[in-house]
Amino acid sequence: MSLRPFVVAWKELLQLRRDRMTLAMMVALPLLQLLLFGYAINNDVRHMPTLVYDQDRSAASRDFAASMAATGFYDIRGHVGGYAEIERALRRGEARVALVVPPHYGEKLAAGKPAKLQLILDGSDPQTVASATNTATAMGLARSSELMLQKLSVSGSGLTTAPIELEPATWYNPEVRTAVYVVPGLIGVILTMTMVMLTAMAVARERERGTLEQLIVSPVKPVELVIGKIAPYVIIGYVQMTIILLAGRLIFRVPFLGSLPLLYALAFVFIAANLAVGLFFSTIARTQQQAMQMSFFFLLPNILLSGFMFPFEGIPKPAQIPALALPLTHFMRIVRSIALKGGGFEDVYGELVWLTAILGVLILVSSLRFRKKLL
Amino acid sequence: MNEPVVVARALSRHFGSFVAVRDVSLEVMRGEIFGVLGPNGAGKSTTIRMLCGILDPTSGEGRVVGFDIRRDAERVKERIGYMTQRFSLYEDLTVEENLKFYAGIYGVPFGRRAKRVRDVLERTGLSGRRGQLAGTLSGGWKQRVALASATIHEPPLLFLDEPTAGVDPVSRREFWEQIHRLAHEGTTVLLTTHYMDEAERCHRLAFIFRGTVLDVGTPEEIVARRKLRGAELESDRAQEAADRLRADAAVDEVAHYGNVLRLVTRDDTDPNVVIERVLTGELRPKSVRPARVGVEDAFVSMVRSDADDSAAKAAS
Repeated sequence: MSLRPFVVAWKELLQLRRDRMTLAMMVALPLLQLLLFGYAINNDVRHMPTLVYDQDRSAASRDFAASMAATGFYDIRGHVGGYAEIERALRRGEARVALVVPPHYGEKLAAGKPAKLQLILDGSDPQTVASATNTATAMGLARSSELMLQKLSVSGSGLTTAPIELEPATWYNPEVRTAVYVVPGLIGVILTMTMVMLTAMAVARERERGTLEQLIVSPVKPVELVIGKIAPYVIIGYVQMTIILLAGRLIFRVPFLGSLPLLYALAFVFIAANLAVGLFFSTIARTQQQAMQMSFFFLLPNILLSGFMFPFEGIPKPAQIPALALPLTHFMRIVRSIALKGGGFEDVYGELVWLTAILGVLILVSSLRFRKKLL
Repeated sequence: MNEPVVVARALSRHFGSFVAVRDVSLEVMRGEIFGVLGPNGAGKSTTIRMLCGILDPTSGEGRVVGFDIRRDAERVKERIGYMTQRFSLYEDLTVEENLKFYAGIYGVPFGRRAKRVRDVLERTGLSGRRGQLAGTLSGGWKQRVALASATIHEPPLLFLDEPTAGVDPVSRREFWEQIHRLAHEGTTVLLTTHYMDEAERCHRLAFIFRGTVLDVGTPEEIVARRKLRGAELESDRAQEAADRLRADAAVDEVAHYGNVLRLVTRDDTDPNVVIERVLTGELRPKSVRPARVGVEDAFVSMVRSDADDSAAKAAS
């Protein structure tokens, strides 16, 4: 075994040490992303500005509006006197939801007749629609069965509780906090971003400055060069991963249920796969700028298709095929399984097989392209 | 054992339909400074790259430091030093770090590395700048570091691809003194250049033009073979005199140097005879003195006659 990979790695570290900007970026980037994604992406829609158009003005209608506000999902911003006002408020974004109580609502309820309530939603934001509909529907149902039970007990049927009660139990993230879901996945996104870009640029830089030609005429073998260039970035990848895990825990109280050594071990395959992608880009890019552009181009499908932002199952079938070819898709499942569900090796084995296969193909393709002879 | 250090036999390299190098044959002996001379795009760098084992020849063969450039490219690489056209150092590493890196890459044993780096720093006068970042050095100093890097493993053969491009005249002189010292110590040096004054400092030269070798020999031999003679004349009506001279069949080249015209004649024709014949009456020069004919004259004449030949061929 030749010492050349160490010589190359040492040189790379010396260069990194002088490149304060890149170094700072590599630490700051994960932290910044963590805060951005952790705070900004929020799928649970709470405190939706809500208007009430109460045509009934009864105790029952006021009661319903009050219990809506009590859920925490709706902030009652005021009362209006007509549909025109609702429309204007929705258009201006002053309200997202409006509750319309028709006349005689209270009387009908008291008389035991079916009564209708209307919920108007701003459909330009589907997230709001889903959230508001679900909560309101649940509320309506709960109210109805309550009333029904009251009636039944008065009539003396002996039934005092609802016959069927569905009790949802959310495992692994009982409070359904977005941060818990986002932070582990963020490890994968950050690693994809920095690993691909750093390797692509490290090689493109040597090509751009002409030092690559100097290396090509030297006896260093391509594999020695590649290992030496990549090794320091693997270390950086692990540093970033540790930063996110620690900060996620301290800032967002993200739990870690599984085995840390298992995650670190499997992350190696994932990091290697991304480095191979970067290497492949570097064989195409002639300049550092091109390398950077390619890396960004690669990042977008990773964020959108890997299951990081949107559930994988929700991605249209044709898009699922390229999504499966992305290393991040599989690492996303691995990291969520280990961190949030306490998954063991046998739970993520299938994903590891995928990752290894992708890595194999990538290494083959990049080393075919990373030929040592010029032209 | 006086086997040549570099042997090229009918090396050719095509890039698609473009022929960059055609049937180049060369022999370079040990301790020789061998210059490959030619205009830009003549095929100099392509030839060197093939000899270094980084570019496969399309046809032909070559042996460098005893190894086949095609089959044993890796062995060749270990035993040569190579300084690329834009001598490329790691600008964000210090002089010493650059040298240590190349010492490692070229497999200088770890125990000897520090001493070897120290020796090279001393020999190239870089000791005082060992801790300086390579990127902050001026062109002349960079070139010294590049030469130091290329010789860090004491290679028997050194390839220099336009080593002095963009370097000031003083540094160039110092550089050439270094090259001669290396050659004296037994290192063979093969370099490309398009500076004619540098060409004259080589032991032997090969003229490359449009991918083919036009002539090989010592600078004196090459000049002598062209059968050129030179004169310098002073004239008040230099432009008219030049036009007249150029029209004469025996004239190879007329060039302006301030008020002086430099005349080169071909086929060993006495320049004085031509001047007497062409510049009569008011155009008679004020003074005429013999001038030395150099590599540059030979080169210009060779390239011109080659161009004339091809033009004639194209016309017929």
